[in-house]
Amino acid sequence: MAHITINQYLQQVYEAIDNHEGSFCAELLSFKHPHVANPRLQLASPEEKCQQVLEVPYDEMVAAHLRCTYAVSNHDFVEAYKCQTLVVQYPFGISGDYFGYIFSSLPIPEGFDDCRMIFQAEQQLLRKGKGKLGDMLEKAAEQLMGCFRVCASDNRAGIDDSKKWGMLFLINQLFKIYFKINKLHLCKPLIRAIDSSNLKDDYSMAQRVTYKYYVGRKAMFDSDYKPAEEYLSFSFQHCHRSSQRNKRMILIYLLPVKMLLGHMPNHQLLRKYDLMQFADVTKAVSEGNLLLLNEALAKHETFFIRCGIFLILEKLKIITYRNLFKKVYQLLKTHQLPLDAFLVALKMMQVEEVDIDEVQCILANLICEGHIKGYISHQHQKLVVSKANPFPLLSSSS
Amino acid sequence: MNMLLQGPLVLRPLYLFNVMHLPLFFLSDSISRLDQKCLFNSSHSRRRGQPVERDFRQHHNQGVWREVQEERRQESIPRGVCLSMCPIRELQDREAQNLLHRFEVLSGTERERWPRADPSGVVKEYARPAAGKDSTRPSDLRPPAVLLKTVFYLVDNIAASPTLRPWTEVYDFVFDRLRSVRQDMIIQRVSGADCVAVLERTVRFLIYASYRLCGEPLRLYDPRINDTHLQESLSWLLECYTSGKHPNQEEFQALGLLYNLGSSRATQHTMELPERIRSSPVMHLALSVSRAFMERNPVRLLRLAHSLDFLQSCALHRHLETCRRDLLLIYSHGHSSKNCRFPLHKLAHILALDVPLTNQLCQAHGVEVRGDYVVFSKTSFTEPEAGKLQCAHFHDLVDRKQRDLTVGSIIHGCT
Repeated sequence: MAHITINQYLQQVYEAIDNHEGSFCAELLSFKHPHVANPRLQLASPEEKCQQVLEVPYDEMVAAHLRCTYAVSNHDFVEAYKCQTLVVQYPFGISGDYFGYIFSSLPIPEGFDDCRMIFQAEQQLLRKGKGKLGDMLEKAAEQLMGCFRVCASDNRAGIDDSKKWGMLFLINQLFKIYFKINKLHLCKPLIRAIDSSNLKDDYSMAQRVTYKYYVGRKAMFDSDYKPAEEYLSFSFQHCHRSSQRNKRMILIYLLPVKMLLGHMPNHQLLRKYDLMQFADVTKAVSEGNLLLLNEALAKHETFFIRCGIFLILEKLKIITYRNLFKKVYQLLKTHQLPLDAFLVALKMMQVEEVDIDEVQCILANLICEGHIKGYISHQHQKLVVSKANPFPLLSSSS
Repeated sequence: MNMLLQGPLVLRPLYLFNVMHLPLFFLSDSISRLDQKCLFNSSHSRRRGQPVERDFRQHHNQGVWREVQEERRQESIPRGVCLSMCPIRELQDREAQNLLHRFEVLSGTERERWPRADPSGVVKEYARPAAGKDSTRPSDLRPPAVLLKTVFYLVDNIAASPTLRPWTEVYDFVFDRLRSVRQDMIIQRVSGADCVAVLERTVRFLIYASYRLCGEPLRLYDPRINDTHLQESLSWLLECYTSGKHPNQEEFQALGLLYNLGSSRATQHTMELPERIRSSPVMHLALSVSRAFMERNPVRLLRLAHSLDFLQSCALHRHLETCRRDLLLIYSHGHSSKNCRFPLHKLAHILALDVPLTNQLCQAHGVEVRGDYVVFSKTSFTEPEAGKLQCAHFHDLVDRKQRDLTVGSIIHGCT
């Protein structure tokens, strides 16, 4: 593949189309296939040659693809992106029936498989000082939306030929872009579309894992922790054992959600996936050690902010307060706890400027959230806790 | 449908099928220029050199046609040459049609049938862009220096004027004229220090207005419209800050965070700012307030709110209602017991309100007050009826910070 001539390549494409070999045709147009490294195929103007061998519109499509390989070899990602968009437009000009089933799923995804290319084009533009961050990505998103609409409205062909099979893949690509440009609210209609589709459980596992990963992250962002845990756990369990990097990415978001629900990860897991940043956080939360928590968050701040989980980890403070106060209760061994004791505990943790009013507020908040069973008596300046299970398990009260 | 069939139909029957798919693209209002080029740069036009493309576009809707024109003109960004606050043409037109605003009229001629324009007081008004109307005539556009001068006039002579009344009318006028200033900036693609100077004053004005006019009837002041424009201007300003050095950046990042308290998007944006900005005292305070809100610690939040300056308090004030409601809710659950006797004056102190207002607030939330004590109960707490509580009555926390600050100094930022 790496040494064939342009004519041989075009002949292969022609035969693939003629014999209705959809997947092979897709490979010949994909950037994951070794043919893209072949310098003989990297041509700036291959239109003539393509016209000689192939019919309309394939000639245009393949010509665009070859121009794209040329651009990539010159590291001109902006041009490459433009060519790639052309490649993707053509399949939609073809109606179902004869051509439909070739294009029903594969070349479309392959054409956009390289979102990396889009990101690289973005970087190049930025370096040249042109365009705002997100410009190129927004345009790509618009293109993808167009493709998606065509897929979603394809009611003509039978289920095997239907373009609906391309939907989930396109949605995953759109999610990637929306998360990158931080416009998560645009994900909602896409999620609704899949929820109402009857194909949702029949897509490939890889696509479903990716889909649930993004939906889980969105749920996290919206503070819906129970559904977030469901989605991300599914993603993690069904993610292929060999994709360590992907599993790590899922874990980065699954861990905070699980911690908020009271389940702390063990060290083995953290070490296995190289996520030792969470180790101190976990330790601090389970011990009720606010000081250590603040230190841990500060130490790995950059990492957490970059992943977008810093704010969620700050929510662990509530759980830490609960664990700290539980220790106070266990130490004093009484059901009528003086508020002063909690104030002392907080001062020991070097919490700045905290006074007895704030202690009351924090305790009241814990009671309100169901983490403590009891009430505060302002007159006696005491917290009176229930004799039975005053600190219910976190998993039951969240 | 006719126009859609014109181009492709001429050349190949196969493309009849194509056309069926095209409406989807047309109905989408997010069609980009790139989309069009891909769709219509089809093989036949390139091969045979036919101007099918151009004809087609001419029949396409106005907006897209203008977009194409604009693209061709991209190299020549409009540059304004109008050196007065209002283009002569508009001044004459409005004077002739008796469309001058009360503040733009030459004093002494107000009662006349055709009041005369005061050339030093007429300001270009906002006009919606319309098809067929050219908003890029250089004689109608004001260059950045004039725009800044206009903003200064609006702030010093109108917004800060001690005599012009009522302030709702002052607000309307300044709001509209500032919008026109922003429009001129957009058309001329103004950026950098000039843009920042205009936007900073706009944001301060809108934040101040959101506080001062809080509680006015809807027909005189719409908080939603104010909010929309405030958010737009703020986003634009924060974007300007991403390049170059700006001395007031910390102030506005803090204002943005306080105004959008509780918004994950705003908080995430702040977290991604460089360390040296985040660690400045004003940001540090704003972040503490934000953290207190996220942790649902209204006691701490209200205590920190005392340290905010006047404009920051204005930005925060619309969240105070939620904050106080949270406190009553949390305390209703936390102190819920038959023997509860929580001192009313203590509650008032925590809520930063006086005793009568605290009483009123409790009643609106179903919290029982017995003489000098509050009896919290988790079952009696209720959400207040919509519109029952008027935010404007609870403004004391903000009010007392204004002291002898002038409107002018608030908006220019020299407090």
